[in-house]
Amino acid sequence: MGVVCVYFYPVPEGKSGQQVVDGIQKQIELLGAVKTGNFCVDCETFQAGSGIQNTPQRQVNILHSSEQPASCFAILDTGTCLVADALFDGLMQKLKHYYQQRKGSKIESKGQRYEYGDFIFKVGSVSQASNFKGILVEIEYCPCVVAGDCMNLMKEMSQSLLGSAVAEQQSSFLKTKTDMIYTPADTMSQYLEHFNNFKKATSVNQAMNR
Amino acid sequence: MENTFSVGLKNNIAPQQEYLLQGSIVDLHRDVLLHRLRGLCDNADKQPETFSDHEMVFVLRGATAQQNPVLFRVRRSLDPPDDPSWHIRYLGTSEIGDKNRHTLVRACFDVACSNNVVKFLNEMGFRSDHEYCVKGYFFHKGRMKVTVSKIYRMVQTGTPDGNTQEAMTQSSLVELSVVAPAGQEQIADDMKNFAEQLKPLVQLEKVDQKRLSVQ
Repeated sequence: MGVVCVYFYPVPEGKSGQQVVDGIQKQIELLGAVKTGNFCVDCETFQAGSGIQNTPQRQVNILHSSEQPASCFAILDTGTCLVADALFDGLMQKLKHYYQQRKGSKIESKGQRYEYGDFIFKVGSVSQASNFKGILVEIEYCPCVVAGDCMNLMKEMSQSLLGSAVAEQQSSFLKTKTDMIYTPADTMSQYLEHFNNFKKATSVNQAMNR
Repeated sequence: MENTFSVGLKNNIAPQQEYLLQGSIVDLHRDVLLHRLRGLCDNADKQPETFSDHEMVFVLRGATAQQNPVLFRVRRSLDPPDDPSWHIRYLGTSEIGDKNRHTLVRACFDVACSNNVVKFLNEMGFRSDHEYCVKGYFFHKGRMKVTVSKIYRMVQTGTPDGNTQEAMTQSSLVELSVVAPAGQEQIADDMKNFAEQLKPLVQLEKVDQKRLSVQ
């Protein structure tokens, strides 16, 4: 477990998502990385009904990652992230009169996982209700646990792999965490940030098409 | 991808039901019971394991009376105090069942979690209801768990150190429990047989909790 950066990779006009994914994978394979199976990160959103005493209507996002198969990450819209056993899903069911799952809210990023020395690459296609939304590329540098200590190295790797335009984006979340010990919960918060952006983009598009 | 929990449910390996028998013993005779349990349970060659937990009960209430409140029990270990492990426990309504069933059965989810759980639950709308400390001994035999413990009232909220606790009673609570996937009724028979071996020191029974709460 090291430091992870999740990048949004734009799909240029005239190309399909699959073509772009193939391109990135080819690039990674040319580097000499080894395929090590598939990965998946999924997120479901639960919304509080109006019926909770003295509390604003909150949203709970439940994320799972194939990298931590026994865990469940619950992130509130306030940013608080609870890391719990996978059995936490059972607790959410017990709260169904208070927190309802939003229909069609499930969004996931899945694809190929690669290992390359101290690095792990994951190229994920993001889809919501089987609609393609975009591409997220995850780069992990395993030997380090403090983001600030390996940021430049990560940047260099992402520049050579994804191009400087993509490498420039740095999650606002990661910027605030540069000198703290990095945990898998931080990776999940980055994914959630991207998932929320995808959802926002969809609603803007829909509004423009109307 | 299917998540671990739904795979667990589908294959019926997710532990979600607790089988429970309860009893009590006066403190004066507690050591005899501990001695007996040490002989009956696993790891007889070791000193019995002790535990000391702080339990905070949180409740989520609806704005209307129709919504049933949901209780989550947050527990953390007090020894070692600098590195507590936290977990959330949900307990359903207990079913007494008929004469053929030897134990109480209730839904039970025991979920280990990170140490920011109190903040998390507060932000979700849960409010602290009550809290107490439990200290005692812990044994296991196969997958059966036996605890002999005392419940302490906290004089000061939130700070469970030795000076601010007072014992509720002059006796210890004895609990025999197994948390298992749904439908494993044969456990109840094993538990009954085990409970028989503790007689007459302690009488482990199905305690109807509905009768306790209505006063």
